[in-house]
Amino acid sequence: MFHAKKPSTMNSHDRSMCVQGDSGLVLTTDPKPRLRWTVELHERFVDAVTQLGGPDKATPKTIMRVMGVKGLTLYHLKSHLQKFRLGKQPHKENDHLKDAPLDLQRNVPSSSGMMARSMNEMQMEVQRRLHEQLEVQRHLQLRIEAQGKYMQIMLEKACQTFAGENMASGGYKGIGNQGVSDMGTIKDFGSLNFPPFQDLNIYGGDQLDLQHSMERPSLDGFNLSNNENLCLGGKKRSSPYGDSGKTPLIWSDDLRLQELGSAPRCLGPQEDPFKGDHIQIAPPSMDRGPNLDSISDIYETKPVLQGSETMNDKKYEASPKLERPSPRRAPLPSERMSPMINSGAMSQGRNSTFG
Amino acid sequence: MDMAIDGFHELDFTIFNTTTTTTTTTTTTDSSENDYDYACNWNDWSPVVDWEALSSDQNDFQDLIESMMDTHGGLKQSPLTDQETCNSMSTSTDTMLVDDETSGEDLKGLRLVHLLMAAAEALTGVNKSRELARVILIRLKELASPHDGTNMERLAAYFTDALQGLLDCNGNVHGKHSVNNGPHHYHYHNRGDQHHSDVLAAFQLLQDMSPYVKFGHFTANQSILEAVAQDRRIHIVDFDIMEGIQWASLMQALASRKDGPSTPHLRITALSRGGSGRKSIRTVQETGRRLTAFAASIGQPFSFHQCRLESDEAFRPSSLKLVRGEALVMNCMLHLPHSEYWSPSSLNPRLITLVEEEVAIGEGGFVGRFMDLLHHFSAMYDSLEAGFPMQSRARTLVEKVFLGPRIAGSLGRIYRARGEEENGSWGEWLAAIGFNQVNLSFANHCQAKLLLGLFNDGYRVEELACNRLVLGWKSRRLLSASVWTSNFNSDPDL
Repeated sequence: MFHAKKPSTMNSHDRSMCVQGDSGLVLTTDPKPRLRWTVELHERFVDAVTQLGGPDKATPKTIMRVMGVKGLTLYHLKSHLQKFRLGKQPHKENDHLKDAPLDLQRNVPSSSGMMARSMNEMQMEVQRRLHEQLEVQRHLQLRIEAQGKYMQIMLEKACQTFAGENMASGGYKGIGNQGVSDMGTIKDFGSLNFPPFQDLNIYGGDQLDLQHSMERPSLDGFNLSNNENLCLGGKKRSSPYGDSGKTPLIWSDDLRLQELGSAPRCLGPQEDPFKGDHIQIAPPSMDRGPNLDSISDIYETKPVLQGSETMNDKKYEASPKLERPSPRRAPLPSERMSPMINSGAMSQGRNSTFG
Repeated sequence: MDMAIDGFHELDFTIFNTTTTTTTTTTTTDSSENDYDYACNWNDWSPVVDWEALSSDQNDFQDLIESMMDTHGGLKQSPLTDQETCNSMSTSTDTMLVDDETSGEDLKGLRLVHLLMAAAEALTGVNKSRELARVILIRLKELASPHDGTNMERLAAYFTDALQGLLDCNGNVHGKHSVNNGPHHYHYHNRGDQHHSDVLAAFQLLQDMSPYVKFGHFTANQSILEAVAQDRRIHIVDFDIMEGIQWASLMQALASRKDGPSTPHLRITALSRGGSGRKSIRTVQETGRRLTAFAASIGQPFSFHQCRLESDEAFRPSSLKLVRGEALVMNCMLHLPHSEYWSPSSLNPRLITLVEEEVAIGEGGFVGRFMDLLHHFSAMYDSLEAGFPMQSRARTLVEKVFLGPRIAGSLGRIYRARGEEENGSWGEWLAAIGFNQVNLSFANHCQAKLLLGLFNDGYRVEELACNRLVLGWKSRRLLSASVWTSNFNSDPDL
């Protein structure tokens, strides 16, 4: 509803808009328009250059004369010629790079010496990336943990000092007697042991946490049913907002639900790095990103890379169990893991339907 | 249901106690007139109101008028009317006046947007009318509650409050209202009004519900860690340290770092401004103690300083105690001081980490930027709702503690910035004064992606520049983290 009415200001970053001029040139709509070198235009450029005796003899001025395309400026030609001289034809080179790993994969059986060597390099690269990603994952986990610990210290401290502070800030009237319920809120956080590391525990994926997450469904039921009792036993204050005493109890309920809600989601990244298809959201700077999964399949089949394979194995053991509490992703792991474990079937994982 | 009504009573309390005193007289006379007279009133006002500017679309105009006509009914009720009555009244008018195609909820949302726009226009447009703004705001308060209703309704309630704040502090010459308390420290100030425990609880929730907090902190920290990998002494100047949560994870990483000199010394200088209330200074002191204790618990050598500035005092490099050989990092989480307050180039920092909100800057005038803010925050509300549809209480708290004050602050800022030339985004400003971009590493990208993987699918991260990651919700960009360095001593590997 509101989105339909959104102001058009936010599109100022989008550069992809292009305009085709009447001369056939494709220009971006930037304040400073850039020229898109289409295949046709580039061909005309190459023709002109050869006609003039090669990239080293041709100059922007002469090329402009020979090409005779309206709207094309010296500025455009200068930079394009420069790239051309350096042998950098951006789109072509990129395509080549992107295709490279796939080509390699296709040519696996014809293992010429050359191929084998670049395969090896590729594997090293993939291993490095995977390793780095594992490291990042591990660090992220520790960081979330540290932040959670710090948060908890704060909450505990707040619990201890709250009473005093509450008295001191009694003059605050704005939103009614919030103080009463707030105190409850904090206490609730303490007593119900709201898990600050909820992401982590599951994320970490070791056996203890497995149990933890397996118990959750039952925990949920417990809490829901218990909540009524808590409500009855909860503090009743004779404030005009007496009902707000319930707030913390509803909270606890909410939090449990939240914990449950986030549990399956947390599982995603834990296995994703190994599948590699997670990496495809990687920025363009990681030019190999999109192909990681196919490569990693190959690399799984090779016994060479012992180190990281053991790491993976450990994780795989854990993940099926981990996934179980999540109904939404339940069918997912076995299906996605198969290409990795059954080394025969390659690159299926990516095309299979993930639901 | 109990909860909803309960919440509503709170609302009545907060919203009406500010306005009833000033406006009851006018509104009661208005409501004693009949519809026709009321419309005439409108005509009397119309020369003052720039209707064309409000909307060129005839339908919108109609809609607005109808919304306003509704005011008539609404105003008759006492401020403490039951929510149900209020709702039924407005919906019944809806169905009478407008075609039934759109659903009531959407229609109400649309009307709220129109009313907000009209109020913003009345407050700042070519033909200002404070009275008109006041009346529109009264109507908005009846329609929207920060405690329940749709996202749009709750959002509209906070925008209404913020506009009311602008209206009030603009009106009283001697009125020093909370919103008018210096451009950058609304955050602290408003938090002064909140209960500390509320803030903590909400902060915890916000962290668990959305990647907003961690995205900024972790992206900045990762860049810091990479930039100081070979240093023995690290000095971080934090422009808004708040509770210091960002540094727990950095300390953990420093304490366990394997490459480079082990356990480097970390020094943090927190800037705080006197004008933002004693509370903020105390908060910073507490933060210092907490960080020191935390560092000790993990064996991280650490020292903490506080650099107090008067509210209008410029930040001078000399007010920092700098030690030779320290790697200096400046950290700005959503709070970059205005350019007149500091000149980072004179400090020659190794790194500047910047997290800023992605909102329109310098275009569209007040109303345009107002609408952009509305869009921005509605995306934020939506993201929280999509992730946690069942936790409306939790969301309400987060909205009250964080988003509400932030809305007020942002609105105040664009209100004061009317007609001024602005620098554009902080990143643009840093670039303009000669800072270089620092590439974000693979690890940093990777970390952001893994982090987002923990949350709802609607979040995404995109790379807008080699030094800038943007966190968005669906199609809307919300937060960006960027990293800069001074070009005097650096070797930017660009």
